[in-house]
Amino acid sequence: MTCELNLNFLKELERETVLQVLYRDQMVRKVDEERIRKLKMQLQQLQWKGTNSVSHEYQERSCARCQKSLGLVMNRGAVCNGCSHRVCSECRVCLNPYLWKCTICYAHGDMKVKTGEWFFEERAKKFPAEDRHETVGAKLLKSYQKLSKISVVPPTPPPFTETTGRNTAMEISQSKSFHKSVENLFLSLATNMKKISKSQNDMRADKSLLTTDYGQDMERRKERRSQSDTAIDAANRIKNIPTLQQLISGTWDDNEAFTKRYCKQAEDIPTSPMSDTVFCGGKKHGSLYSINSTCTEAGNFDTTNVTGEIEFAIRYVFKTCTLEVCIKACKNLTYGEEKEKKCNPYAKIYLLPDKSSRSKRKTAVRKNTVDPAFHETLKYKIEYSQLETRQLQISVWHSETLKRRVFLGEVVVPLSSWNFEDNSTQSFSWYQLKVKSGKPEDNLVQYNGELLVCAKLILPSQSKKCQYEEQMRGGREDQASADGQLHLVVLGAKNLPVMRCGGTLNSFVKGCLTLPDQHKIRQKSPVLKKEACPQWKHLFVFDGVTPSQLRQSCLDLAVWDQASFGSNDRFLGRARLSPKEPSGTWDSDPQSKCQWQKILSSPNTWIDITFTLHSDMDT
Amino acid sequence: MAESPREHVPHQPSSAVCFPLQMASATDSRYGQKESSDQNFDYMFKILIIGNSSVGKTSFLFRYADDSFTPAFVSTVGIDFKVKTIYRNEKRIKLQIWDTAGQERYRTITTAYYRGAMGFILMYDITNEESFNAVQDWSTQIKTYSWDNAQVLLVGNKCDMEDERVVASERGRQLAEHLGFEFFEASAKDNINVKQTFERLVDIICEKMSESLDTADPAVTGVKPGPQLTDQQAPPHQDCAC
Repeated sequence: MTCELNLNFLKELERETVLQVLYRDQMVRKVDEERIRKLKMQLQQLQWKGTNSVSHEYQERSCARCQKSLGLVMNRGAVCNGCSHRVCSECRVCLNPYLWKCTICYAHGDMKVKTGEWFFEERAKKFPAEDRHETVGAKLLKSYQKLSKISVVPPTPPPFTETTGRNTAMEISQSKSFHKSVENLFLSLATNMKKISKSQNDMRADKSLLTTDYGQDMERRKERRSQSDTAIDAANRIKNIPTLQQLISGTWDDNEAFTKRYCKQAEDIPTSPMSDTVFCGGKKHGSLYSINSTCTEAGNFDTTNVTGEIEFAIRYVFKTCTLEVCIKACKNLTYGEEKEKKCNPYAKIYLLPDKSSRSKRKTAVRKNTVDPAFHETLKYKIEYSQLETRQLQISVWHSETLKRRVFLGEVVVPLSSWNFEDNSTQSFSWYQLKVKSGKPEDNLVQYNGELLVCAKLILPSQSKKCQYEEQMRGGREDQASADGQLHLVVLGAKNLPVMRCGGTLNSFVKGCLTLPDQHKIRQKSPVLKKEACPQWKHLFVFDGVTPSQLRQSCLDLAVWDQASFGSNDRFLGRARLSPKEPSGTWDSDPQSKCQWQKILSSPNTWIDITFTLHSDMDT
Repeated sequence: MAESPREHVPHQPSSAVCFPLQMASATDSRYGQKESSDQNFDYMFKILIIGNSSVGKTSFLFRYADDSFTPAFVSTVGIDFKVKTIYRNEKRIKLQIWDTAGQERYRTITTAYYRGAMGFILMYDITNEESFNAVQDWSTQIKTYSWDNAQVLLVGNKCDMEDERVVASERGRQLAEHLGFEFFEASAKDNINVKQTFERLVDIICEKMSESLDTADPAVTGVKPGPQLTDQQAPPHQDCAC
C-alpha cells in the first residue's frame, strides 16, 4: 500500500503545509533517536559489568550477575524466570510482590519499553516486512526529495540560495552598460594595469572594473567612496596589494568576490557618520561585523597560497543544548609573513549566518609555528533545531602585534547535513583549508535576526465554515469583493544586529502594504527603548482591503533602530510577504509566497510567521 | 484592539486568543523547541485521531495540547501533529498526537500513518448521523492498516450541543461495545472528557505494553513465552458528564 506513497497528488500549497509538518516530525524523531542511542549505551555498559552474559556458561552455585558464590542452604539464590539463570537476592528487581526479574532481564525489558521496541515487535507479527524504524514521515520526505530533485530546504532557511545565475541576470537588467564584451573587459584590464601601479587608492575603485557589474554598481561604489572618508582610509591600510598576476590568474568569481570584499570594507565601518546613507544606497551590507573583527573580515584574503589542514571535531550536547567545536591542531600552514617565515596562528569560528560578535569564538594565538596545537573547545549555546540553518565557519589567521591579521585558510561546514547522532562524525578529522569562499559569505551577511509576527485576514463573512474548502476548490472570487481588514501583530524580534555598546537597541517596526495600484498603506510601531530582543506586541491594521487586492499586494516589514537626536535612524533588517516568487534583489524567503497564501486562504485565523530579517534594502 | 496580541512566550499556549490550527506549524518548530528537543521522558507514544471531516478532531487536539478552542473551521491539510508530555503512572510519557484530515482525498497519506500508531481516537459528531455511520468503516480501516493490538477509543464529540444531538449516547455505547472499543462522549468546546480520553488511551497502551513484556521475547530471555493473553476484555464504559 505504501510503496507508491508520495506527495504528488497534493497541490503546491498543501504540499508546503504537509512538508512543514514532516520537517517538524523529523525534528521530533531526531531527538528521540538521540534518547534511544543513550539508552542503548547505558544498557551495554550494564551488560559489560556482569561478566556472565546470557550466552555464557556460568559456574554452578554462583550468581549469574555478580558472580557471588551461593550457598546450599543459606542464600541459595533463585532462578530468574526471564533468563533461567540463578541469581542472588541482590541482583533482582521486584516488579510486584510475586514477580521479580534479574537486573539484566529487567534492564532489557525497561529498554524495550522505553525505546518503543515492544511496539515494533508486536507490529512485526502482522507486518513482518515493515521496516521497524523508518516512519511514514521519513519515507515521504525521502520520496519527496527524490521526486522533486531539489535539496531539502528546512522550514525557514536563511537566504543562502542566491545563485550566480540569478545575480547575473539581475545585473543585466539593471545595468544599461552591460554591453561590454569579454574583449572590452580585457581592454579595461589592460588600462587598469597601469592604474594599479599608481596608487592603492585607485586600486580599489578600479578593480571593480574587473567585475561584471560595471554600471550602476560602479557609480555607487565611487559615490560611496567619496562619501565616506573612512572607507578610503580602510583601503589605504591594505598592506599587501595583490599582484596583477594574481588578478589575471584568478577565476572570475574570485575576482568578483575580491572586489566585493574591498567594497564591503567601506561599509564595514559602522562609526562613520555617513554610514546610514551608505546603507540605503548599497545592495550588500556587511553591517553585522563586530567592530573588532572589521580588520580581519575586511583584511588580507590575498594570501597567495592557502596550504595545510586543520583538525577538529564537532558535537552537540543535547543535555545542555550546546554545540561544541573542539579545535585540536593545524599542520603545514602557510607562513603569515612569507619573507620572515613568521607565523602566529589562531583559529576563529563563526556560526553563520550570524557574523556578529555573538557568534565569534577564537582560540589562543600560538607563536612561531606552522603546525600549531590548540586543543581548545569553543562552545555555543544553541537549540538543536537552529543548527539546520547554520554553517560553521572555521578560519585560521596569522596575528602579529600592531600589524594586520593575515588570512591563512578556512573550512565551512554546513551543519544541516551534519549527523550529530552518529558517533563517527563526532571524532576528530583533518580538513583541508581552503581559500575564502566569496559567494556564500555575501549571502550570509544578510541574516539580520528574526521577526515574529502573527497575521489574520478579517472578512465580514457570514459563513465562515467551509471557506477554506471553497477556496481549495477554486471558488475564490466569491469573497473577492468583500472589504476586509488585514491584522498583523508584530510580536517581537531576536538576534537583531546590535551595534551600540551595551548591546541594546531602540527599535521599532515599519509596515507597508503595497496594493496593486501602487497605493501604499503605512504603519509604524512605537519605539521600544533599550531592548536587544524587543517585544513590541503591536497591532497593525490595514483597513479596507479586499482579498483579491491582497492577492496581488505585498507587505513589507522593516525593523529600525532609532538613533539619538540629530542622526539618522539605522536600518536593521527587513522582511517581505509577497504573492510573487522571490526574484531579483529580493532574496525573499522561499516561504514568503506560501505564507501570504496561507493568510489569505484562512480568513479569520491567526497565522504565526517567523521571518528571517535580511539586511539588503530595496528602496 | 479587539484581541490582545499573544504573549510572546513560545511554549505557552495562549488562552487570551485562540491561535488555531495547523498553520502554527512553522513557528512551532523554531520557537517551540522545548517540545521537540526535550529528551526528558520515559516513553514516547504515537496516537492517531481519525474520523469524518469536521467532527472536531483538530479542536479536540488543540483543547488537549494547548487548552485552546476556536469555533472557526479550518480543514486540516493532510496531517499534522502536536506533542505533549504528561506524567502518568509515575512515568513521563511524550505523546506525539497525529491529527488527520477527514477528507477522502487525503486518505492515502492518513492511512499510511496508521501503522506507526499505538493507539487511536476514533471520533464522530453526535450532531451528525453520517459521521456516526462511518465509524464502522473507520474501524475496518484500523483493522486493515494497523497492528493487531491497536487500542481504540470511540469518542462522540460536541456533546455540548445537546439540542442538536442526533446520535443518542446509548447508540454510541452499543456500537463501541460491538467493536470492542472503549467509549466516551466529549466536548472540545466545553472541555468535557478531553483529558480523560487521552489519559485512558495512554493507560490502555501502557497495559498492552506490559503485556507484551510479560510474554517476553525468547531471544532476549532464553525462555519460551507463556501462553498469549487473550484480548477479550470487556471495556469499562465511561459515561459522559453531560
